[in-house]
Amino acid sequence: MLVICILGAQALTKDWLETGFLALLPANEQQPEIAKATRQHNELSNRKVIWLAGATTSEEAIGHAQKLKRQLEQSRLFSKVVLEFSPQQYIRQYQRLFSYRYQLLDTQTQAMLANNPDRLIKQNLEILNSPIGQMQAADLERDSALLFSRYFNSQNPVKLNLEQGIVVLPDKNKFWALVLTDLQDERLQLDKLETLSALVDSATEQVKAAGGELLVSGMALFTAHGAESAKQEISTVGIGSSLGIIVLLWATFRSVRPLLLSSLAIGSGLLAALVVCVLFFGKIHILTLVFGASLIGVADDYAQHFLCDSFGETDWSPRKGLRFILPGLSLGLISNLLSYAGLGFSPFPGLQEVALFSAAGLLFAWLTVVLLFPLLLSGFTFNHRPGILKLTTYWEQHWPLWVSKNRRCLGLLLIVFTSGGLWLLTPQDDVRLLQSPPAGLLRTADKIRQLFPMSPDSQFFLVSGKDQADWHRNEQRLLERLDALKSQKALAAYEGLSRYWPDANQQQQNYQLLKHSWYDSGLLERYMTDLGFDRAAVQSELKQFAAAEGNTLALPEWLAAADQNKQQLWLGCDAGRCQSTVTLTGINDINALAAVHDLPGVAWVDQVESVSSLFARYRIRASGLLAIAFCLASLGLAYKFGWRNGATIMSVPVLALAVSLAMLGWFNQLFSLFNLFALLLVLGIGVDYGLFFFMAGDRRASTSLGVTLSALTTLLAFGLLAVSSTEIVHAFGFTVTCGIVTALLSAPLIGLKGQKL
Amino acid sequence: MILIKALFLSLLLCGQGFASEDLLAGIAARLVKTPITQGEFHQQKHLKVLHKPLISSGTFTYDQNKGVIWKTLTPVVSVLLVNESKLLTGQGEQAVPAAFGKVFKAMLGGDLAALTDGFNVTGSDQKTSWQLELTPKDDMLKKVIGTMLLSGDTELRKLEIREAGGNVTDIAFDNISHPAQLTDEQQADFERLSP
Repeated sequence: MLVICILGAQALTKDWLETGFLALLPANEQQPEIAKATRQHNELSNRKVIWLAGATTSEEAIGHAQKLKRQLEQSRLFSKVVLEFSPQQYIRQYQRLFSYRYQLLDTQTQAMLANNPDRLIKQNLEILNSPIGQMQAADLERDSALLFSRYFNSQNPVKLNLEQGIVVLPDKNKFWALVLTDLQDERLQLDKLETLSALVDSATEQVKAAGGELLVSGMALFTAHGAESAKQEISTVGIGSSLGIIVLLWATFRSVRPLLLSSLAIGSGLLAALVVCVLFFGKIHILTLVFGASLIGVADDYAQHFLCDSFGETDWSPRKGLRFILPGLSLGLISNLLSYAGLGFSPFPGLQEVALFSAAGLLFAWLTVVLLFPLLLSGFTFNHRPGILKLTTYWEQHWPLWVSKNRRCLGLLLIVFTSGGLWLLTPQDDVRLLQSPPAGLLRTADKIRQLFPMSPDSQFFLVSGKDQADWHRNEQRLLERLDALKSQKALAAYEGLSRYWPDANQQQQNYQLLKHSWYDSGLLERYMTDLGFDRAAVQSELKQFAAAEGNTLALPEWLAAADQNKQQLWLGCDAGRCQSTVTLTGINDINALAAVHDLPGVAWVDQVESVSSLFARYRIRASGLLAIAFCLASLGLAYKFGWRNGATIMSVPVLALAVSLAMLGWFNQLFSLFNLFALLLVLGIGVDYGLFFFMAGDRRASTSLGVTLSALTTLLAFGLLAVSSTEIVHAFGFTVTCGIVTALLSAPLIGLKGQKL
Repeated sequence: MILIKALFLSLLLCGQGFASEDLLAGIAARLVKTPITQGEFHQQKHLKVLHKPLISSGTFTYDQNKGVIWKTLTPVVSVLLVNESKLLTGQGEQAVPAAFGKVFKAMLGGDLAALTDGFNVTGSDQKTSWQLELTPKDDMLKKVIGTMLLSGDTELRKLEIREAGGNVTDIAFDNISHPAQLTDEQQADFERLSP
């Protein structure tokens, strides 16, 4: 115990908790470049929080947004708070790219020049005569054919209205002013998340008080809500179950010692498990902690069994008691360890962690019970017969009789019930089902997406090529396909670098296209003269064009002028490979998009899908492992007691598992990877109950009390989780409840002399 | 003496300028206000780089609820549709320039008071005609538009936009009428603006 504490003090001072989902994946599951691209994509989007301040006039909306901006800056949560979009960036970009204007053409202009260059003149007249053509008319001096103006505008396909430099989004009878923020840290600490929620609440109140409305959305808000509700639930469920357990144990033993002892057994198991895991793996995943901790709940059986044994004999002493129950406890431990060993042999680091965690925890809890309890229980005797003992004794005597009297009817019922439930059971692995964000947050997020369709979806394409030219070719092919899909409304928009940056080859082609269709053909001269430019202007334009022939704009130079969102699309070149991402907005038909990955160098990355399919694979693996665990436990028991008796004991967990699964089916509950952890717990507990009764002999009354107490505490500890609104937690609690109740009902049926189920 | 008179007059004008709300209310009271206004326009753009103006003409339709159709007929046919939140041109959907939707609505719809939101307004109101000079309040807009001069009687007759860069646009409105209903063609154009 001391050793564990010392080791623990050392191990746990480091950064030991892992929270990313992807850490659960086997290392070879993820291609490193996809992992890198995903990381970069998420880093960008997870940090963004979008705020929209709304009012009936744009001036009011801007006023709200300005106040909001000050409040956000004071919070120190954000690395960036943007309200005014300064034209400086655009001016700088314009200046940097302007000298390459004859190499840079947008796709529409390209097509127009190639097919019908006369159309350019007509379109220019349209633009210049338009009552809103002031900006372009002002450019005319530098950019006589408005070619660069076209290219430049095509870089920002979504046109946003600016007032005083602030983006104002019009809505029905309302205007929304936009504030964009980036959180300082992509992985927010819990306390920072709380600060963020509080900030959102107070800002919403303030804007409301001033007569406006505030919409906020961002990944961090969903995380914050999840953390908050989980915390709240765990504390209510925790308090409820602790109170229940205290009352129960107090009523039974009329002493605090048993309570402290069972806490000690579980506590030392948990601590040891944590330390062993951190020492072994370096880090422990939060899910391991949650599910591992649940599985250690089996350890409670040992403590209860020992304690209740004290009612079995009048001259009971801890040592004598231990001698009697040690075989049962040890066999229970071994069968559980065997079942967890199955998990350990899976290639999934997540399952290995859970296995090691639970095994270590259980072993230490068992050691605590076997080694420390006799010492700590010395002088511990009861001179009362608790009411619950009378109840369990009555129950233990009459329940098996009633069952055996009605066994035909009950057996049939059971078969129909379980087979029907199993028939209805359908696995659901979609990761989105596991999260249960409140409808309000989702509505706001939808509304914001509709008003400001700029934040990319979580799916994206990863494009690679062996060099820049190869990459460019591959991405261009992808973008062509996406254009077609866009016109079929499969998506609203996409962003890809090669749309804006033509490679050296294409830059030359652009120049040649212009030369041949516009400059050498005499069209430019005609256009400029007709419009009213003087001779000198025409000459100067021709001269500038001729002088620009050899120009090439390199990608780094283009990127340096681009905004951050575009810069982040480029993943760079290394070791004979160049990569970029193509982000997507407003996806309508995900299957049509996913089908595009047949192009060379194009990979479709769908994190939701890949995590879901990961869960599905984990579920199937874990089901297999559950079966293996079951076989190992059966083999162990059969080896010790013979086939017939082994099967008798195993009938308890088997029945418990079958009923749990059937209940999941009947009640249309979520059946995923997480239920399987619950089933493992049920298996372990079922084996224990079966064993304890099988070996009870003439101490059936105290055994019955021990098993009942243990079942009730487990139900209070884990069964209560069924009331949770978080799907995973609820599914876990529901499964445990069904399994434990069944195990409790079926265990007393075995071990009766001359009677077998 | 003339100079002094002119100075005095301009001071008077400035004085009136401060009372811009009264001024606007006075002018607005004279304007014919109906849900629909339509007419012809003749536009001349004087660009510094060109030695002759860009001349265009066409028709316009204003509907109180639906927005504006600006149909250029010469030298090339093109249609511009705008309401407070949407702007469609031959080049597709574009951002609505901040002042644009509002100014059109205010001018053509006679809701002059709305102009004070985005502009400093000065001007004069004489017996038969009135003039207004608008300077944008928005710093960004100031960089594009220096001043806008509006003049008219019971209708808006003339609009002059003086850009900060020196380009000047003159628009004259003629044959203004106030039909009770939109034509089918106008209906169809506005249809394209609705989301």
